[in-house]
This record gives sequence, C-alpha cells and structure tokens, in this order.
Amino acid sequence: MRVVIAEDAALFREGLVRLLQDRGHQVCAAVADGDALLAAATEHRPDVAVVDIRMPPTHTDEGLRAALELRRRRPETGVLVLSQHIETRYAARLLEANASGVGYLLKDRVADVAEFADALARVAAGGTALDPEVVGHLLGAGRHARGLAALTPREREVLALMAEGRSNAGIAATLVISAGVVEKHVASIFGKLGLPPAEGDNRRVLAVLRFLRS
Amino acid sequence: MGSIGSVSATVSPPPGSRAGGFAASARSLALAPFTRRARRELLFCLVGIPLGLCVMVVPYWGVGFAQAAALLTPGRELTWVAGVAAILGLLLLIALATRMGRGLGAVHRRLAARLLEERVAPPPPLRPRRGLLGRLGAGLGDGPGWRAVAYQLLKLPAAMLGAYAVFLWVAGLVNLTYPFWWGLFRNHPPGVTLAPVPAASPFPGRELQIATFAGTFVAFAVGVAMLLAAPWVTRAVVAADRRLLRGLLGPGRLTQRVHDLEQTRALAVDDAAARLRRVERDLHDGAQVHLATLAMHLGMAREQLGDDGDPPDVTRARELLDAAHRGAKDALGELRDLARGIHPPVLDHGLDEALASLAATSAIPVEARCDLPERPAPAIETIAYFCAAELLANAAKHSRATLVTISAAGRDGMLLLEVGDDGVGGADPARGSGLSGLAQRVRTVDGRLEIASPPGGPTRIMIQLPLRP
Repeated sequence: MRVVIAEDAALFREGLVRLLQDRGHQVCAAVADGDALLAAATEHRPDVAVVDIRMPPTHTDEGLRAALELRRRRPETGVLVLSQHIETRYAARLLEANASGVGYLLKDRVADVAEFADALARVAAGGTALDPEVVGHLLGAGRHARGLAALTPREREVLALMAEGRSNAGIAATLVISAGVVEKHVASIFGKLGLPPAEGDNRRVLAVLRFLRS
Repeated sequence: MGSIGSVSATVSPPPGSRAGGFAASARSLALAPFTRRARRELLFCLVGIPLGLCVMVVPYWGVGFAQAAALLTPGRELTWVAGVAAILGLLLLIALATRMGRGLGAVHRRLAARLLEERVAPPPPLRPRRGLLGRLGAGLGDGPGWRAVAYQLLKLPAAMLGAYAVFLWVAGLVNLTYPFWWGLFRNHPPGVTLAPVPAASPFPGRELQIATFAGTFVAFAVGVAMLLAAPWVTRAVVAADRRLLRGLLGPGRLTQRVHDLEQTRALAVDDAAARLRRVERDLHDGAQVHLATLAMHLGMAREQLGDDGDPPDVTRARELLDAAHRGAKDALGELRDLARGIHPPVLDHGLDEALASLAATSAIPVEARCDLPERPAPAIETIAYFCAAELLANAAKHSRATLVTISAAGRDGMLLLEVGDDGVGGADPARGSGLSGLAQRVRTVDGRLEIASPPGGPTRIMIQLPLRP
C-alpha cells in the first residue's frame, strides 16, 4: 500500500512511518500541514492518506479541510483522519458526500496496531472506518432509543460494528461467531429498524449511519 | 479612565536636559503667556463667563411668570395671581432643572474636550418613563442631572474667577500701552494741571493713578507683572474647573466604578478563557502526543513479541520498548511543566520563596528581594509570580541585561512589585510583547502596571496589586 502521512507532531509522525513500514507499506511522504499533503498526494498518487485534524497554521481543523479537498480532487484516494478527541460533527462532515474510502479514528487506536492496520486497509480499499467512540455517541444520542430498544444486545453489537464500517467477516472475527450468524443478525437488524436492504458494505454503512443521524 | 488593558508608559527625560535647569525654568516662566495652552485656557475662561453667568437668569424666571400673569389678567387681584404664577413657574423650573442641567453639562463637556483636552465621559442617559408624572419623577430623581445642576451653580463663582483671569490678561495688555500714547495726549502747556489717568492694578477697584510720564512706566511694569501672572491664574481657575467637571459632569463615581468593574470582569473572563485554551493546547501538543506515541510504540512492541512462543525479532522489540520508555518519561516531564505552569507548587510556601526559586533558575543574574508584612491573597501571589516570571523571561529574551532586580514590597494594603534591568530598554506594550497581556491580568484585580523603558535603558516595570483582591 502506498501511503502519505500528514501530521504536525514530529514524534508521532515518525512513529507512524515506522509502524507502516514495519508492516510492509510504502510511505511516499510524511508532511506536517494541509497544503503539503495536497501537494504530496498530487505527486505520489497514494492509495491512502493518514491525516491529523489539527495542524498549523490555525491548529483547528485544517487537516479535515485538507482531507475534504483531497477527496474532492482524488476520490480514488482513501483518507483516514486521525484526531486527539472525537467530534461527531467532524465525522458528519467527512461522511457527508459518501462513506467510501473514508476513516475517522482517535489517535489512540493506532496503539492497537493490527486494528489500525485493518482500518487503514479498509479505507484504502474504498471501505469505511469510523471510530467506536463516534458510533457510541450516535447510538447513545437517545434519538433512536425506541428503535434500538427492539434490538437484542448482540444485535446492538453487530449494529455498532457495522457502523464502524466492518465487513461481515470482520464482524464475525471480532465477535467470534460464524459469518452465517452475522448475516442473520444483520437481516434482523434491518428488519427491526425498517431499513431497506442494502447490498455491499459501503451502502450498508451509509444506511446505518443515515439512520443513526436522522 | 484608561481603556481596556491600558498601560501607562512614562519615559523619563533624557539626562542632558537637566543642565541649565534654572535658565530653562526662567524661560518657560517668561514664555508661559505665549503658549498654545495658555491661549486655549484663556478662551475657556472667556466662553465660561456667559455660560457660567446664565444661571443668574434663573431667579427672574419666577418673576417673569408673575409679570406675564399680571399682564394677562388685568383688573384681577394682582398679587394673588402673580404669586401663584411665580410658584407654578418655580415648580416647572424644578421639574425641568435636571434636563437643563444635563443639556448645559453636555455643552461644558464638549467645550472642555475641545479646549482643554479634558475628556469626561457623559453620565448614563436618563431612563425614560411613561406619562407626565413618570417623566416628572424621572427628572426629579435624576442624580447625574442634579449633579449637573450643582455644577452649574458652582460654575457661577468659577466663572467669576475666570472673568478675573480674563481681566488680568486684558488689563495687563492695556497697561503696556501707557508709555506709548502718553506723549500724544499729554502735550499740554506747562503749568496746567490735569487729573491723573487711572490704570488697572491686579486688584480691581483700586486703580493706579498715573499723573506723569514716569508713572506710565509703573503702569507698564504692573502690566508686565499681570501678564506674567495671568497664565498661572488662568491655569489655577481652569484646574479647579476641571475638578468640578470630572466630579459633577462625569458618570459619577459609582457608575464609573460599575463601568470599570464591567471592563475588568470582561478582562478576567477573557483571561481565564485564554488560559484554559493555552492549557488545552499545551496538553494537545505536548503530553497527548507523547502518550499517543508511547501507546503506538508499545503496540508495535506487542506485535513484535507475538502472542506466544519466542519473538521473531527481539532486538526490534527491545528498541520499541526503549522508545516507549523514553516517551513515557518525556510525557511525565511535559505534564510536570504543564502543572507548574498552572500553579507552581513553590508558591504554596509564599511569594518570597517563589521569587527566589525564579531567580535561581534564571539565565541572567537576578537579585530578588521580598519584604511583605503580611501574606497576600493566593490569587494575588499567583498574579505577582507570573508577572515576575514573564518580565524575567522578557528581560532574558530582549533586554541584553546583565542584572535583573526583582523586588516585592507591601505598603498601605498594596503589593508593589518592581522588576528592573540594566538592558537596552525600549520595552513597548504596543509591540505585541506579553506586556499588554500582563497589564490586562493585573487590571482584573484593580492593579496597575507602569513601564519606564526609554530607548537605551534601563527598564523599570512597576506593578501595584491590592493585597486582597
């Protein structure tokens, strides 16, 4: 996988480079601000970009803006946005247009190297990776309490994992159940929530997220 | 009143200017009548005469009403009707007094701003009330309005004194002319005795009597003396008037205090928000990054070690653990610095210890003295400490000083903190240094910050804080 990294904290940036190289990925460029990210992406045409939200000069959301711009210019490049703290509205802005090839994770998730690598691979392949905390916020918002109350605890787990962007296989591995059981749960969830059946992981994520945010 | 975060910067005169002090002061004494300031003050007194005397018209108001009533009601019992009319007139006057006072007060304020550059903030506007009685009540209960009326009444003697100042100018000038025209009019044949010509003296009503040409020089000399005295008399009159203006036509002490408190509260709120933002920023850019990196290194090491059996690459795992260990120590250091920035633990032992420890860690030699009869409130100690720390850092960064002195003393319920250095000076709060921030912070507790930092140095910064906020 060809990766571009944009992160202003040098220490963390170097760590990321090492982590990705250790796993056999090619880090084409590691830059420290949004403009450099766009330039590097144009030059190297990476499969995926890892972008910190807060970068110079304003240290607010230039990473997010650069990520959105990158998606507009190069939709085929996956964008995984990292943040020190989770902001549901940022996630909403990222997923607004479509959820394919987008990720939004807490920086802490990088510590679970395998999970992080899995999320990055998903995003690079056009999938979605949404931080469990964002999903937790959405599930806990209370707007859908009545709809969600109809789900069994297991189904809620499956719903959360779907919202995170995981495939059936991923869900099955995480919950240590068989793929067939996952499929059954998914069908049941869609039925209970009154969602139209959606083919493909991306459509499914979108359907779930649309439901949670509506 | 100073604007938000004002810093009064006093730059002492260059050392050379003190030579020949006597000649300089004699010069300024002789030239005083010709300065722009003297002209403007004279004009203020001049305009003040009609403005001040107009209050004398007021008693005639009642009389006017009485006479008007008498004219309109012929044949009735005059005294009775006139009396009622006079009383009605007076009542109306009282009802309108505050409004008139406010109107005239505005004129006086504008005049003072224009001629004396004495800017007095207007009092808060009259709160309107509905209905005739309401309006009447609002007028009668209008404190600033009554103060303006009081100013008008006190302006009467002030205007008379002003008139005396004007008299000194005019009569002094006239006296100067005596020797010039004396010969033209006094060319009478010998033996004729003419009445002496009066000339003005500084005491109105006691004229000099000039009978001879030599006498005109006495008039001339008196004129010179009057002209020399005139600007000072004018200034004294104007100074008294300024006090009246500030005291009676301004917003009032309580209103001004409320205004000041509103400003300082806004400053305090801003200051607190800015400090919180800085703490968040420091956490985000410092400790959080270190901890995230640490977690990442540990995660990578965990990967290297595998779930069971012998790790494939022990050296790599060791490297990662080393990096993680370093990262943990760095994170601790960051957090410690951050905690110290929020509240230095050494402050718990008092300002003297805190200042001493500040001095001990400074890059430039520091002499710190602390002489406080009682311990200030913790908030004051904290502000004083951070001011000293910031000023010390400024001195180290910009002043090229070889010695910094910090002294803290207590006097009359105030904490006086003074930080001085022997550097190049030129500290300017306008140039985005931390000084204006410090001034704001000091103002939040009604303190003051003064800077004396002429180009070339030395720099002295005085901070006054109340011992109890």
